[in-house]
Amino acid sequence: MAEWREYYQNEDDEVEEDEEDSGGAYKISGRDSLVFLVDASKEMFIKGEDGEPSNFDMTMQCVRSVYTSKIISSDKDLVALVFYGTEQSKNPRNSFKHVYVYHDLDSPGAKHVQDIDKLQGEKGAQLAEKTMGSGETSLGEALWCCSNLYSDIKLRLSHKRLMIFTCRDDPHVGDSAKDRQARTKAADLKETGVVIDLMHLTKPEGFDVSLFFCDIVSPPEDESELGLQTEPCRKLEDLQKRVRAKELKKRAQSRLTFSLGEGVNLAVGVYVLARTATKPPAVRLYRDTNEPVRTKTRYFHAHNGGILLPNDMKRAQVYGKKQIVMEKDEVDEIKKFDDPGLVLMGFKPMERLKLHHHIRPALFIYPEEEQISGSSCMFTTLLLKCSEKNVFALCRYIPRRNTPPRFVALVPQREELDQSQTQATPPGFRVIFLPFADDIRTVDAHVGPTASDEQVDKMKEIVHKLRFKYRSDAFENPMLQQHYRNLEALALDMLAPEPIEDLTMPKVQMMDDRLGPLVQEFKDLVYPPDYNPEGKPAAKRKPAESGGGGAEKKPKVEMSEEELKNHVEKGTLGKLTVPVLKDACRQFGIRTTGTKKQELIDALTMQFSK
Amino acid sequence: KARGSSALVLCMDVGFSMSNSEPGQEPSFEQAKKVIQKFVQRQVFAENKDEVGLVLFGTDGTKNGLAEDGQYENITVHRRLMMPDFELLEEIESKLQPGGQQADWLDALVVCMDLLQEETMGKKFERLNIVLLTDLNVQTSADQLDVIIDSLKKARITLQFFLPFPVDGEDRADGGGDGPGPSAAPVRPGKGLSRQQTQGLEMVKNIMTSLEEEDGLEEVYTFSDALQKLSIFKRIDRRPMAWPCHLTIGSSLTIRIVGYKAVTEEKVKKSWAIVEAQSHQRDDVKRETVYCLDDDNETEVQKDDTIQGFRYGSDIVPFSKVDEDQMKYKSDGKCFSVLGFTKQELIRRHQFMGSQVVKVFAARDDEHAAVALSALIRALDSLKMAAIVRYAYDRRSNPQVGAAFPCIKEKYECLLYVQLPFMEDLRQFTFPVLENNKKFKPSESQLSAVDALIDSMMLVEKDEDGESVDVFKVNHIPNPQFQRLFQCLHHRGVNPDDPLPPVEPWLKRDLERPQAVSARCQTPLQDVKTKFPLKVVVKKKEQKTSADVFGSSADEPDAKKVKVDEETEFNLAEIAKGNITSVGSVNPVRDFCTLIRQKTVSFDQACQQLTHRIEQLLGNRSPEYYMKSIACIQAFRDQSVSSGNAELFNSYMQSLKRSVPDRNLQELWDLLIQDALTLISKDEVDGSTFSKQDANQFLAFEQKEEVQAAPVQEDTGDVDDLVSVSCLFGCFNDKHIIYYICECNSDLQVY
Repeated sequence: MAEWREYYQNEDDEVEEDEEDSGGAYKISGRDSLVFLVDASKEMFIKGEDGEPSNFDMTMQCVRSVYTSKIISSDKDLVALVFYGTEQSKNPRNSFKHVYVYHDLDSPGAKHVQDIDKLQGEKGAQLAEKTMGSGETSLGEALWCCSNLYSDIKLRLSHKRLMIFTCRDDPHVGDSAKDRQARTKAADLKETGVVIDLMHLTKPEGFDVSLFFCDIVSPPEDESELGLQTEPCRKLEDLQKRVRAKELKKRAQSRLTFSLGEGVNLAVGVYVLARTATKPPAVRLYRDTNEPVRTKTRYFHAHNGGILLPNDMKRAQVYGKKQIVMEKDEVDEIKKFDDPGLVLMGFKPMERLKLHHHIRPALFIYPEEEQISGSSCMFTTLLLKCSEKNVFALCRYIPRRNTPPRFVALVPQREELDQSQTQATPPGFRVIFLPFADDIRTVDAHVGPTASDEQVDKMKEIVHKLRFKYRSDAFENPMLQQHYRNLEALALDMLAPEPIEDLTMPKVQMMDDRLGPLVQEFKDLVYPPDYNPEGKPAAKRKPAESGGGGAEKKPKVEMSEEELKNHVEKGTLGKLTVPVLKDACRQFGIRTTGTKKQELIDALTMQFSK
Repeated sequence: KARGSSALVLCMDVGFSMSNSEPGQEPSFEQAKKVIQKFVQRQVFAENKDEVGLVLFGTDGTKNGLAEDGQYENITVHRRLMMPDFELLEEIESKLQPGGQQADWLDALVVCMDLLQEETMGKKFERLNIVLLTDLNVQTSADQLDVIIDSLKKARITLQFFLPFPVDGEDRADGGGDGPGPSAAPVRPGKGLSRQQTQGLEMVKNIMTSLEEEDGLEEVYTFSDALQKLSIFKRIDRRPMAWPCHLTIGSSLTIRIVGYKAVTEEKVKKSWAIVEAQSHQRDDVKRETVYCLDDDNETEVQKDDTIQGFRYGSDIVPFSKVDEDQMKYKSDGKCFSVLGFTKQELIRRHQFMGSQVVKVFAARDDEHAAVALSALIRALDSLKMAAIVRYAYDRRSNPQVGAAFPCIKEKYECLLYVQLPFMEDLRQFTFPVLENNKKFKPSESQLSAVDALIDSMMLVEKDEDGESVDVFKVNHIPNPQFQRLFQCLHHRGVNPDDPLPPVEPWLKRDLERPQAVSARCQTPLQDVKTKFPLKVVVKKKEQKTSADVFGSSADEPDAKKVKVDEETEFNLAEIAKGNITSVGSVNPVRDFCTLIRQKTVSFDQACQQLTHRIEQLLGNRSPEYYMKSIACIQAFRDQSVSSGNAELFNSYMQSLKRSVPDRNLQELWDLLIQDALTLISKDEVDGSTFSKQDANQFLAFEQKEEVQAAPVQEDTGDVDDLVSVSCLFGCFNDKHIIYYICECNSDLQVY
């Protein structure tokens, strides 16, 4: 969880800070790990009809995308790539035949990605043949080898997963001794907490899971049938989706009590399913060795130089000339209204949830049977009924200790599956944050003439021509992608980073082609011939509002002492800009503690209120 | 920049009639004073740049620029226009007293207008506003009314009235703000009003309607209204910045637009500075950040000797700021470009990202742009579609992809822009099936119990006319965080030595379920309670120890193991490593134990060295080091017990506990709890000052919180009794139930 936090920071510090000291009991230390165990038999390299990529190729593309996404989103996670059914053997003690450890458990870096790239395509197949070859298969040995990878790791592992990629449903072709060994080893692995998944790939006669693999894989989380997909993956997209759904350990941000009142309490886990990904913070490196340095922050007394412990410091705010002091504990206490939890206020029809009442990305809740038994049943009943009656639940939400409440709408969401029977939307309630009165700004609406039916109809044609099916995962963040491409280029000593495709740019050429004469027709309907929407309005430009352009012309006005005193007296210094305040300080030779606005104001106030 | 600020004069009636009150009600004077106090409090602590003046009328004295020849008497300009400060708050608290005179409120209004005009001369204010708080209980001369209205219009001064009674008894509800829950029953107009008041009310209506046409009366409030929701002071809120841009579709269709932030989370703006505890001086605290290498000695290095780098998976790539700026993604300036159009239903509400909603209008006073945008808005609306756009605020900011929805209101049309996720923002988690899971399948009776519960808890009710009314509008509730903060700041400012006051009751009430709903849902809730067995799972003693969490691999120093293997290991270590003279960082536990055994240094010194290492390890605050720290603490404890010296260990643990919140060591503390690494008690070492019970409780601060975390529903008022009985029902599976029944017998009889 720590990693996910680190790199998925919220833009505002406050929330960030809040979240850091969250969920006391529910933090998990240690790292997640994922082992790709890939079949390297001849069958894997058979190309599909019409030049479709081989199963091996598909697997490599998939592994690569997991590697890169780990680098971006959770770079502390450990990943390994192991081939089985190879001719050559390569493993730590070389005690296992026909098992080739391509990447030992490690956090993936640029080099790893490059290695995978080498295994792709026609050339990749040749390289694989040359370095590893295809040989005898013993899944038992392979699993044993993997279990050693886990135990060789010096770090604590919090979640261990192993994915088997194969297109052979009977790998040992009737060798029951080998089957037995594989089953035993799989059981051993599961015993130590490793979750084994099967990513079975298509083969001509169909993949029969019940032949062998049903005994190898871990039982599904729940007792429903969904756990083991019986349909093999045909397409890369499906495979990626399936891998992606499992690749991350789902982890609650916190566990809370959801109180309906009168002591009717259930337990829920709160999950973050979407969070703005930002560029990770830079690390400082020692120039000579490029090793990362740590920072230590200390507080000490300005006069006697003694180190100040937390108890030696208090918190203060200054209003006008008045300083108000509080203990750190008191500052926290002010934010406390109640204990953490969700408290039901009541229900409202869905149409009362306004589209524009949005202040934060939504969260997701799902019952926690392990904390309060019966939660799942109660939760499911609420979910069914809310969805049937088309209502949402309004709740007061306190995410953690010493955090002020927010009101949230719990919107029911029933499970949806896509064509490949993968879960598209999970069952549970979406938690939508609602704005308080303070969060809604008064906007003076611009009122103007409205369009005629003819004009609207023309626009409808335009809209119709530019229809597309929106998918939430269709756009990559160009800023992040560029950042990581740059790093990749530097890490691999490439001459220039690979260019990115900026998916957020409008495809102007294609749009123009599709629209044809429609644009001109529309413009003829709404704009007079001499109207140029690109140009600046010639009419009136209010001097007060055009702060942008003429920065260089701004005359430097010195402020008289009289004026300054006047500002100090009225407490209106805050209205002046930082440069003006700085000039004033310079002009009167006032020393300041810093260049922040408040510091400048404080200094001037000190000087002139004497 | 001074743009967008307002000037406002608070004009309060302090005349003797304001001190009158109905039995059981607060005098109007007190109510009005509270309104002013709350308002100024908000202005001061939110550091609003608006300027505020205060005019009192009905004062014993007279002090204003217009007083002459017995005119404009008993009107005092208490404070000219300036930014409200703490002083004003203190003055209101201590000096604002009821007066013994009466004065004409129209005269007072004229004084305020005069003050505004004089003081705003040559300054730029976006709006001028006068707020009158009065009971209208005074004879007024209406002959100047038209002149006054005229000059108000000319000077573009707006007015707000706050009265003890509603202006129009019938339908305050649709007058812009229906408060949360039923408010205190207001006095009906016409009833109990004096002749002057009735007359005054007519004049107020007259003024307000001629100033603002049909909406005028919406700016007349009651005192109780104002106290309940200070959001009424909207009028003087700052306006969001305009963001002019071009909406583009393809290469040649451009519409001039302006965006405004319409909804965004308002944050506390001022942060806390750190001051020295005794002197309260900020300058006495110096903060120093040093860079050091990750080695045993924590060798410090100069900032100039460090460079910037980034992690790329397992690699750390040096990447200077200059290079980064050169190579980073560059957007080509502000834009609002349509990428395409899509069905609204494909954009799910829970996919909204970012922290704001932007309203997009056509450029002001550009009717061609208005028509073009209107065509787009209406087309989208009738097709139930939305535009997917690339949005960039300016050249320096990163582009977003978002959706622009059509929004057609009676008075205006606009687009609503919301950010949508990037692929990198999404986490795909699969959750186990709920609905078709036999284990959780609700029975028919369970379904109908919840059905009834939902019906009883609807927050939307039908009024007499069959219109549905929302009785719990979140967007009308002011954020309690601000109110609470301002209350505490105010209190501490006035009484520096007092503890903080409790949360104000009305603020708490705002956050509770409306009483009517609470009462209605009693029976259905009881039904739900009996039909759904919900039981807190008592954790079996299977709490994981740190070793379990971390997976005890052979090479990790395992705390428990160290104890067992002491003998052999240390002998080997001595041979292998020669003499150990201090606690190193590689294997501090072994070094420490060796030092103690060999008595190379004193026990105190060894402990000191060890705690130094522990602190170093904790300084990393990385879970990877926690294991080592815990092993050290375990060894420290073991050695202390066997040496019969509990003092050092116990005092270290106490200081460690104190530092947990500040250093964010909760995680470590949890592990200590799991390993039951607590204080050394008397039972173990004679010299200890702690009993076994003390020691057991010592770790418990986290657990105590947990118990509290199960919130007990707090209901107010007359439903209290019900609550205590229901608590009782919850205890039936408890052996002590008989005791409770005896205790609460009297309560039970009520039912």
